[in-house]
Amino acid sequence: MYISENSRVVVQGITGNQGKFHTQLMKEYGTNIVAGVTPKKGGQEVLGVPVFNTVQEAVQERGADTSIIFVPARFSYNAVLESLNAGINMTCCITEGVPVLDMLRLVELAHSKELHLIGPNSPGMLIPDKIKLGIMPSDMCHFGNVATIAKSGTLSYEIAKALGNADVGVSAYIGIGGDPIRGTTLVEAFDYYAAKDDNTDIIVLIGEIGGDEEEKVAAYIEEQNINKPIVAYIAGKSAPEGKRMGHAGAIISGNVGTAQGKIDALAAVGANIAETPWDIPGMVKEFL
Amino acid sequence: MVKIRLLEYEAKDVFAEFDLPLVHRLVIMKGEDVQEKLNQFNFPAIVKSQIAIGSRKKAGLIKIIQTREEAVSLCKDYFTRKVGNYEVEAILIESLADIKHEYYCSIALDTSGRQFVLIASAEGGIDIEEVAATRPEAIIKETISLIDGLREESAKKVAERLGFSGDLVDSAKDLFLKLWKITTEKEAQLVEINPLVLTPNGLFAVDGKMILDDNAVFRQETIQELQKRKLSDLEKTAKQFGFSFVELEGQIGILANGAGLTMALLDVLAQHGLAGMNFLDVGGGADKDRVYEALKLIFTMKPKAVLINIYGGITRCDVVADAILHTLKEFPEAPPMVIRLTGTKETEGVKILNDAGIDAYKDMMAAVEKLKGVIG
Repeated sequence: MYISENSRVVVQGITGNQGKFHTQLMKEYGTNIVAGVTPKKGGQEVLGVPVFNTVQEAVQERGADTSIIFVPARFSYNAVLESLNAGINMTCCITEGVPVLDMLRLVELAHSKELHLIGPNSPGMLIPDKIKLGIMPSDMCHFGNVATIAKSGTLSYEIAKALGNADVGVSAYIGIGGDPIRGTTLVEAFDYYAAKDDNTDIIVLIGEIGGDEEEKVAAYIEEQNINKPIVAYIAGKSAPEGKRMGHAGAIISGNVGTAQGKIDALAAVGANIAETPWDIPGMVKEFL
Repeated sequence: MVKIRLLEYEAKDVFAEFDLPLVHRLVIMKGEDVQEKLNQFNFPAIVKSQIAIGSRKKAGLIKIIQTREEAVSLCKDYFTRKVGNYEVEAILIESLADIKHEYYCSIALDTSGRQFVLIASAEGGIDIEEVAATRPEAIIKETISLIDGLREESAKKVAERLGFSGDLVDSAKDLFLKLWKITTEKEAQLVEINPLVLTPNGLFAVDGKMILDDNAVFRQETIQELQKRKLSDLEKTAKQFGFSFVELEGQIGILANGAGLTMALLDVLAQHGLAGMNFLDVGGGADKDRVYEALKLIFTMKPKAVLINIYGGITRCDVVADAILHTLKEFPEAPPMVIRLTGTKETEGVKILNDAGIDAYKDMMAAVEKLKGVIG
């Protein structure tokens, strides 16, 4: 989604432990990391990558157009803001636990600038064999024509790996992240691979209980008359019913959010529902 | 992610801070002198236990009381009550309102719509969800841009649509603007008044709910204070180390990473007739201490077996393997463990365990089969 093997990546928070560790793994994967940013640490080099004080400098000096963020939650608002203000086309925020008010402001800003934001609390994006912009394992799968879109991180690794083991190629892997407010919603990610990405012929959708995004995807499939085959898995069938968010949650979105409700909504618009994550590769293969 | 839900009296303390109209009220904390406290209050009144469960009225935890003597004995009784893991920690006593009509209002976060919504209805009370489901036209919704905030004219429009006239339009408008102020200043995901009641003396917030954004804890004193609230020992450990933790009914202790994968794992176990004792997501990038504390917490629940399922992304399998060995040294009597490690540094992690004579699986279904054998 809005990245390719030609993307020029800046790592915000490159001098931290996680930033450095995953810079190494992304570089090994072949991602073109052109710069790092850590305020007040400009002038250093990390793993051969030049470090700048600001994203603006990384854009001017190194032509960065894509960012990945590994800074603590309390600094994430400023990090994303800096990336958007520097005109970075795709900002991927790995950090978990960014406050809701910060995210709402950043989403409004990204929309007004027509820039793309994914996360927070996202494992990132992967176009197998081309670019890894994230923290997902490197050896999950190879390139192909099946897009994998997930709400959760580790569960989607499991499924991408199962696809790879079954020799099913993946056109793109995207984890939209687990925090309440996301830069890219499930529907937006789905829309991209269903309607805009020519490499994708089949979509694997990995959802979970809570919220109403899967139901919104189902409504989107019907409205837009999407014909690409869809295999969906929803986690949380055995979960006890959680506490509810006052009455307002039910008033905003109706009584949605259960695993069965999501499964029914997706099945009703023609999605193929997997019983377990490990059934997915076999089901996908029937459409290849 | 643990959401911070305020008890009614805590929400009302916030309401009072922002000058929302409340009826006369008194809070008695557990351990305080009930008799002495109640001497300051006039009866009849309503006595409400403060406990984090729904339908308090149904459970007999809210009652209207005619005399002070009855109130004293009821309060003493309430303080002995326990529902599930929750105890009555406080009691809220309020004067009775002369209710002419019940309204509903809230400001809530619409997560998938990525916006706040002001919600109001002239048909408030306990049946509000049914009203929303059967007659959606009776519910007024006004979305709020975070950058613009709730505009005065929008708040006024909602007040008028609720059927208010004269001074009540202004009172309702002010009340909505205060709800928005609370939402942004306290970083709430929900501020709800149900019912908002109309009396001969104007509008009053009779019941209040608030949910705060715990991600904002680093800059919100109210959230920091509330996090110190009494928790069970298990919950304390979970919170301290940042685990998502839920107790379940089964016999298999679960340590996994990622909420989605942990849920999928419980679903698969259920399909195989196995039931988890807990949901524990150790979180991304777990270090040695966190894995150790998670296992220790699981051991205290006395599971028949423990299933560890780690798919490393930001979490490193070698770190997890080291932590498992370290824990086992300290707990030689630990229940049987089935371990599955895959992802980042999996070869190193599996080798660390194998060198110590412990099996580790890379494949989930193999681990589930092994677990079935262990449970018998």
